Amino acid sequence: MGNDLAAGRGTAIELTGLTKDYGKVRAVHDLTLRVRAGEIYGFLGRNGAGKTTTIRMILGLITPSAGRVSILGRELRKDRFAGLSSIGYLVESAAAYPNLTVRENLEIHRRLLGAPPDTVEEVIASQHLGAYRDRRAGRLSLGNKQRLGLARAFLGSPRILVLDEPANGLDPAGIVEIRELLLRLSRDRGVTVFLSSHILGEISLLADRIGIIHQGRLVEEIDSAQAARASSSEIEIAVSDLARAARALAADLGLSAVAGAGPGSLRVVCDQARAADIARAVVAAGVDLLRLCPVSEDLELRFCRLTGASS
Amino acid sequence: MTLPAIVSMELLKLKRSRITWLSMLGFALIPLFGILFMAILKDPAMGRKLGLLATKARWTAGSADWPTYFSMIQQGAAVAGMILVGIVGSYVFGREYTEGTAKNLLALPVRRFWFVIGKTAVVCIWLASMTLVFLLEAFVLGGVLGLPLYSRDLAVHSTETVLATMGLALLLGPVFGWIAVASKGYLAPIGATIVAMLLGTIFGATGWGKWFPWSIVPILGGAAGPDAAKELGAGSFIVVVIVFVAGTICTMIQIEKADNTQ
Repeated sequence: MGNDLAAGRGTAIELTGLTKDYGKVRAVHDLTLRVRAGEIYGFLGRNGAGKTTTIRMILGLITPSAGRVSILGRELRKDRFAGLSSIGYLVESAAAYPNLTVRENLEIHRRLLGAPPDTVEEVIASQHLGAYRDRRAGRLSLGNKQRLGLARAFLGSPRILVLDEPANGLDPAGIVEIRELLLRLSRDRGVTVFLSSHILGEISLLADRIGIIHQGRLVEEIDSAQAARASSSEIEIAVSDLARAARALAADLGLSAVAGAGPGSLRVVCDQARAADIARAVVAAGVDLLRLCPVSEDLELRFCRLTGASS
Repeated sequence: MTLPAIVSMELLKLKRSRITWLSMLGFALIPLFGILFMAILKDPAMGRKLGLLATKARWTAGSADWPTYFSMIQQGAAVAGMILVGIVGSYVFGREYTEGTAKNLLALPVRRFWFVIGKTAVVCIWLASMTLVFLLEAFVLGGVLGLPLYSRDLAVHSTETVLATMGLALLLGPVFGWIAVASKGYLAPIGATIVAMLLGTIFGATGWGKWFPWSIVPILGGAAGPDAAKELGAGSFIVVVIVFVAGTICTMIQIEKADNTQ
C-alpha cells in the first residue's frame, strides 16, 4: 500500500454506494467515487446538494444509511480509528474554543492527535497566524478563524486532507495562498486533497478531477484537462424535422439528441469531430439541415446545466 | 496519553469559562449567608436594623451555634451541589455543540468514550475543588464569628455529610451530559436540571423522596430534618448509582452512535 501510494496508484478515499437518509429525505443517493492517492479532488455542488453530508460520512461523523467509506483501503465502519488517523479535516465553518488562544486551540488538538510539539508553531507560521498566536479565538476575524481551522487540519502532517469550503471567509490573497499551499502539499508530499466547494473558479484552478453532485447524486466526473479545454463534446443542429433527425442520428450513428436551446434545434452529445457525420446522416434522412454548430461550454455552464441552475 | 490529554484540555477550557468562576462564587455565598444569619441571631440589635432579614434568619436558623450553622451548610451544599452539577455538566458536554466544536473532536482518531470519561472526570475535579473551598470557608467563617457548641465529632459528621451529598450530586451529573449530547446544546439539560429540582421538591413533600434521586440528595443533607436522613437505606443509594451508570452509558452510546449533524 505504501509504495502504491507513493507512486500515486493507490486509492486514498473510496465511497461505494454511499446513501444517507434523514427520515424521508435522501440527502445522498448511491454515491460511488474513488479519490486516487496524491490527487486533488474537487467536490462541486450547489448548496444542499449533499457535499457536507458526504464529508461527514467520510469523517465518521454520521453513519451512512447504506454503502461504505474506505480510507486507504480500510473500511471506516470496521476500523474508524485507523482511517481517521490519516485525515486532517475542516468541516463547514471553522469552529474553535472562543476562550482559548490560537496556540491553545492548536495545542489541545495536537495533544489529542499525538503529533510532535513543534508542529503547532509550524502550522501557525504556514497560516500566517503568528501575530495572533496569543489572541483568543473568539476575537479573531472570520478569515483568521478560517486560517485557524485550516491550521488545525494541517496538524500532524496528514496524508489526506478533507476540506469543506476551505476558502470561506478568506480574502483574495488568502484564497491564493491556500490554493498554492494545497498544490504544494499534493505535488511535493503526495497529500491527497478532497475539497468541497460551490466556487467553480477555485475548484477548476486546483482540482485534478472534479465530481459534480446534485440532489445527492454524483452527476458527472471530469478531469482537469477536460475542464481546462473549456468546451464540451456537444453539437447543436437546427433541422426541418426534429423527430426524423433524432431517429436518424440514433439509428445511423448511435447518438442521442435532446431538445436544443432554440425552436427546431437539437443538441447532440458527442465528440465535435463527428460534425460531418451528423450532417451527412441528417441530410441522408431527407431532413433539411439549417444550422450546425459546436457548443462551447465552460465549467460554469456545464455545472449549471447538470444541476439545473440558470446560467 | 489520551485521558490525560482530554482532562488537561477540559480543565483549560473550564478554567477559561466564566461559568466556572460564577459557579464557585455562587457556591461560596452559601457559607457567607449562613454566617450572616448566625451573626444576626447572635446580635439581635443588628437583626432589628435589618428588618425582614432578621425575621427570616430567626425562622430559618433558630440559634447561633455550630450545630445550627452546620445544618444550614449541609442543606445548602446538597441543593446547590445538585444545581451546579446539572449546570456545569450541561455546559461541559453541551458547549461542544453550541460552539460547533463537537465535529472537531468526534472526527479525531480517539475513542469517543474517552471524551465522556474525561469530561466526567473534570466535572468531578471541579466539584471536589469547590467542596474543599466551601468547607474551608465554612470552618474559617464559623471560627471567626466564635460560634459556641463546637465539637470534633460534629465537625467530622458535618464534613462527611457534605462530602457524601456532593458525591451523590456528582453521580446525578451524567444524565444531564446525556441530555446535552442528545439535544446538541446546553439549554435543554439546564432546563432539565430545573425540572429535576422541582420534581425533587414534589417527591420529597409527598413521602416518595427516598426513591427519587433529586430528593435523596437534599434529604441526606438534612433538608427534610435529621430523622428523614436516617430513613435513607441502601435502596436509595442504589437508585442514585443506577442513575449514574445509566446516564454514563447513555452518553457514551449517544456520542458513539448518533449522527453529528451540527
